[in-house]
Amino acid sequence: MTVVDTRGDRETTGAVGPGRPRRGGLRRSNARLGWAFASPALLVVAAVMIFPIVFSIVMSFSNVNVTGNGFQLNGTTGKNYSILFGSDRYWHDLEFTAIYTVVTVTAEMVLGTLVALVLERLTVGRGWLMALLLLPWALITVVSAQLWAYIYNGVYGVLNAILGSVGVHNVNVLGTPMQASIAMGVADVWKTTPFVAIMVLAGLVMLPSEVVEAARVDGARGWTIFWKIRLPLLRPALAVAVMFRILQAFGLFDLPYVLTNGGPGTSTESLAVLGYKVLFNDLEFGPGAAVAASTAIIVLVVCLVFLKVFRTQVGEQED
Amino acid sequence: MARRRKNLGTNIAAIAVAAFVALPLYWMVASAFKGQADITSAAAVPPHPTTANFSNAFSNYDFGTYLMNSAIVAVATTVIVLALGTFAGYALARLPMRGKTSIMTALLMISLFPTIAVVAPLYLLLRDIGWLNSYQGLVLSYTALMLPFAIWILRNFFLGIPKAMEESARVDGAGPIRTVVTVILPQALPGVFTAGVFTFVAAWTEFIIALTLNNSDHYRTIAVGIALFGGQFTTPYGTIFAASAVAMLPIAVLVLVFRRAVVSGLTAGAVKG
Repeated sequence: MTVVDTRGDRETTGAVGPGRPRRGGLRRSNARLGWAFASPALLVVAAVMIFPIVFSIVMSFSNVNVTGNGFQLNGTTGKNYSILFGSDRYWHDLEFTAIYTVVTVTAEMVLGTLVALVLERLTVGRGWLMALLLLPWALITVVSAQLWAYIYNGVYGVLNAILGSVGVHNVNVLGTPMQASIAMGVADVWKTTPFVAIMVLAGLVMLPSEVVEAARVDGARGWTIFWKIRLPLLRPALAVAVMFRILQAFGLFDLPYVLTNGGPGTSTESLAVLGYKVLFNDLEFGPGAAVAASTAIIVLVVCLVFLKVFRTQVGEQED
Repeated sequence: MARRRKNLGTNIAAIAVAAFVALPLYWMVASAFKGQADITSAAAVPPHPTTANFSNAFSNYDFGTYLMNSAIVAVATTVIVLALGTFAGYALARLPMRGKTSIMTALLMISLFPTIAVVAPLYLLLRDIGWLNSYQGLVLSYTALMLPFAIWILRNFFLGIPKAMEESARVDGAGPIRTVVTVILPQALPGVFTAGVFTFVAAWTEFIIALTLNNSDHYRTIAVGIALFGGQFTTPYGTIFAASAVAMLPIAVLVLVFRRAVVSGLTAGAVKG
């Protein structure tokens, strides 16, 4: 028997019980049981998530004809991608999505870590503050988009009233590309920083207190302890939060769709919004699938790179 | 003295954070109580508080139907995800299966995939079987969308349960399904709550799939209803925020009641990920 088998056996000796014969048989039947337990869930995921992802990729390489009562794939073609890569709008949206992702995730990580540090030191009302922080996270993104659209309204928005009281009048932040991007980023930071803060706090609480104590005994203080000791130890928790956020931000749809509808012009149009518009407004399923599939492939690559880096970071925690 | 100053700094920062988070939420609720004449005013407190927006949203418009649709879909999704996810999570935590690590990695990646990548094929496939504008089409899609993350949470909780419990049950002759339901599940209840809250919140707030699959008024969910509400030139914010406040209520209660479960779910991602 191979080493792998021995290891597997050790995993299941518990379930076998002392003195029971036919360990190998029981192991096999436990494996069958495992597949029986897992397969309903895995089949649903395969049929309704993996198959569509693959189908999207196939569709992006096909001539797609959508008619009133169905759709046909008429042979393979590269034209969907050549339309895509020849379009300034696609490159602009890719650039916008990438920059938006980097800027908002950076802001959310920095602010989230600061909020986590505040939460950790807070002695009074910590539970209440955490409960409050969960509300934006659980809010329907569409609702927060409507709320910020109302706050930013160029005629009667409360932001205008606030700016007016300090002498800046009639600002329509959603009216110019740069300001609209920043305004959307603020709405994003408002909704997502609390989520990051709680994830980071969870990591902070897990840190071994002896290390910090030892550093304190050695004379290290405040920010030195944070930068030199706690932050490096916190890296695995931060890495997970960053990965979650990057991938979510890259699929950005709800917020721009409702807050700016990609405007002014197409200046705040994310890849997902472009994909949706091409698919369901223009009913161009081939090019639309190409937008969707290329977004998915970018996400996949980022994910794999991250898993590689992240695995080495938390290697000691693997079970 | 130094310590008091430090606490003061922390408290001021905490108040600033609370204000930044709470003020937009307050603005939403306050605006829901502002009548048509006041909705464009910046008054912090509604000058003439009214419930007209609420009656407007639920009697003149279909927000009641949308809320009901969201509740049906979110509850059904949560029940199915927990039922399937519990057994899958247990198997992937405990039973000897080949390729468990690959399965878990694949599930993690799928749970982070942008939904735009699946929405067109889902639309075409569900159209073929006549499940557009139905509850079951949305529930099936959400179940698949939310199962991967639920399985992750549940598996991490199962890993933390001492093996001795199930061993003695198995030795006592309990069958595998009975072992899971009567021995493992009660131990993993916090994990089940966590996965349940995450699934419910995700189903309640999901937008792009609901927008694509259920465009008829009769099957529209609350998120889509709120997004599409409004005319070309004016947006009736009072009505929108009245509906939004009502839509926030069940989620707020759920999250506050299961605060610990949510926090531990985020922790499970961070620690065991």
